[in-house]
Amino acid sequence: METYKLFNWFKEYGWRHLFALLFVIFAIYPILFVATNSVADFANLTNSKLIPDGFTLKHYKLLSSNPLVPYYSWLFNTYKVAIIAAFFNVFLGTLAAFAFSRLQFRGRRASLLTLVIVQMFPSFLAFVAIYLLFFQISDVAPIMGLGTHFGLILVYLGGSIGFNSWLIKGFMDTISPSLDEAAKVDGATEYQIFSKIIAPLARPILVVIFVITFIGIYSDYILAAIFLKDKNLWTVAVGINTVFVDDFNADWGVIAASSVIAATPIAVLFVFFQKQITGGLTAGSVKG
Amino acid sequence: MTVSKIFRYTFLAIINSLIVYAIPLTLTFESWFLLSLIIVIGILINLVYFSDRFLPMKWILPGMIFMISFVVFPALYNSYVSFTNWSTGHILTKTQAINILEDRVYTPENQKGIEFEIFVLQDSSLDFYYVANLDSNNILFGKAVSDDEIFTTSYANHEPSLFVNNEFVTPDGYYLLSGKEQIANSTTLQDLSLIIDESTRVQLYKISVFGASTGRLSSTSQLYTYDDLNDVMINNADNLSCPVVKDNFVCDGKEIEPGWRVFVGGENYRKLFSNQRIRGPLGVVTKWTFQFAFLSVLLCFVVGLFLSMILNKDGLKFKRIYRAIFILPYAIPAFVSVLVWKGLLNPDYGLINSWFGPLYEIFDIEPIKWLTTKESARSAVLLVNTWLGFPYMFLITTGALQSIPKELIEAAKVDGASGLQSFWRITFPLLMVSISPLLIGSFAYNFNNFTLIFLLTGGGPPIIGSDVAVGWTDILISFTYKLAISGGRGNLFGLASSVTIIIFFIVLVISAISFRYTKRLERIYGNI
Repeated sequence: METYKLFNWFKEYGWRHLFALLFVIFAIYPILFVATNSVADFANLTNSKLIPDGFTLKHYKLLSSNPLVPYYSWLFNTYKVAIIAAFFNVFLGTLAAFAFSRLQFRGRRASLLTLVIVQMFPSFLAFVAIYLLFFQISDVAPIMGLGTHFGLILVYLGGSIGFNSWLIKGFMDTISPSLDEAAKVDGATEYQIFSKIIAPLARPILVVIFVITFIGIYSDYILAAIFLKDKNLWTVAVGINTVFVDDFNADWGVIAASSVIAATPIAVLFVFFQKQITGGLTAGSVKG
Repeated sequence: MTVSKIFRYTFLAIINSLIVYAIPLTLTFESWFLLSLIIVIGILINLVYFSDRFLPMKWILPGMIFMISFVVFPALYNSYVSFTNWSTGHILTKTQAINILEDRVYTPENQKGIEFEIFVLQDSSLDFYYVANLDSNNILFGKAVSDDEIFTTSYANHEPSLFVNNEFVTPDGYYLLSGKEQIANSTTLQDLSLIIDESTRVQLYKISVFGASTGRLSSTSQLYTYDDLNDVMINNADNLSCPVVKDNFVCDGKEIEPGWRVFVGGENYRKLFSNQRIRGPLGVVTKWTFQFAFLSVLLCFVVGLFLSMILNKDGLKFKRIYRAIFILPYAIPAFVSVLVWKGLLNPDYGLINSWFGPLYEIFDIEPIKWLTTKESARSAVLLVNTWLGFPYMFLITTGALQSIPKELIEAAKVDGASGLQSFWRITFPLLMVSISPLLIGSFAYNFNNFTLIFLLTGGGPPIIGSDVAVGWTDILISFTYKLAISGGRGNLFGLASSVTIIIFFIVLVISAISFRYTKRLERIYGNI
């Protein structure tokens, strides 16, 4: 009787747990492995112990003391570029979305369609032309040319603003038009309707779009790699993938520590905003 | 004048003065494309903000400027570049190339003049300096430079303090090279000269092991003169006339660098499709790009769907914990995960091989050299991409499964359908309605998944015997990147752009299919 019960449990639930556990190991092992190695005394690639022999923060300290690996400058650069670009992205995207959602004008449908078509192509696809264009900009206006954060931010702005306007417009469409019609009757200007009614009501989606854009730019490799030549101006993605190539085994502790620092904030943001991010993804796939 | 008007006109004044400032600069540098971009943007801004006819555009234009400048324009520019020979050696315009050539100088035989004592010094950064002792009124000291640096170097100075009682005294911070050391460095030294004025320079003439070496004064003349009537470059040293052959001046059958960029029509495309040593690799790369994108979507989808199916069971314990863990790989930025996986896959120390160790011994096979052979690198790329991508598929299939009404499955059960039947006949088709656009989106994403390929394998291992840098795991976009930026064979911008155009068209087709497919599915299943 007991065996029969057990068999039945296995048939109903047990095998599910078995496979789930298998994939739990697959999913989590690399993450645990890198986390423990970042604090392990003798960190190297063969160190498969998930509980390290000795706990140490030396790898983290090494990251701040090695002038050849200016890791914290990279981190600062990444946050700087991603925050500024994401902010202006959302700001300008909101302005455009307001016009698309609330104002009637000729060419509205055509412009919206253009947005959708342009966004089908990843912005880095024409990277050769972007590179050559900024090569020319370097002559004319060196402060925003190749090798500068300013120029990189401009490119990031161009890359995702269309898609973001589209998403924000979708949300604004769900805000009842009776609100701004009432305001219009009371004599509110276009600008007042935007700043007093629509923008505040759209704030939840704006936060989400800011986070999605921030994560996207934070994780970008190709454009940053093309743009930034000076080691001190690199972003984390370029930095750690350029510096740690020679002796993986010896550097493993430092690689692990830098990975943990680079990944943790994004992972936390992601878990926190998971529902909204996947919602946005379903609307048009940003990552994945 | 309202405040907003003052604000508006100030803003326009600033923008317009920037444009007026930039236009002459673009003309100087012959940056025609940038010039046209600036003009288009300038017209748009003035049109929209000066007149009241395009009111709603005021909201849209600020964001749109960036999209036009850095997405739409580059796309057009890219198509233009694909019809040029733009590459290392052909970066400049013709005028720029002529200017550079006309700056070159040479020393005519009859101009090699008086001889005198010369001392060779080196500073702490190992740059060479010459001290030329012409006579007591002309003791010249300065950095010795090669021809390329002539225009950025200042002329030599008269430094009488270097000689005390007619004896040379090495100045502080410099090292005096002995004759033997000069011989050891002679290949470098023979190209260096001390610049006295525009056309006069000092060169090391004879190295002497005992005592000071001999220097020689020489005057230089312009090496090339451009004859714009006949469009030929005259080489003054050999009195040769060098005509234009396509994109270079050619003297006596030898191309002079640098050349310039020209419109070459479809040559890049022809090269892609007819040059055996490029066409072969391009075929390999294209085929693998499709295989990679398709298999990635398939593997991630199968794993993701399987996991969401086994968790889609009432009363299953730990469901929430499983879900949270399955999503984790997705929360890590790809550039970090790929770095970690590169460590795990390391053939010598990596954990994957130490796990497989016993297997290798049992079957008595060589340990797999991950990432170094075609098959292992391709499998590794797919393995890592499955890890990166299955959480996304898990998330969307979980959502889709939950939205399928339970009554449908129940009804099928009542009608006697088996579990498998109800899955293939009901669950799966319904799932595909909401999922298939996302699958196509995911295919398009992986089609250009540069970060994974470039950071994990760098496209390698290399395909031997091709004319361009290319590897077995390269996808089209990483192939393009190597052609243009990092292939180690110069920057082949023109050729790279033509590959980009091919990608453009493929993405266009994928998007069109996605669009039609979504429409069709909506028609078929729209009523449920």
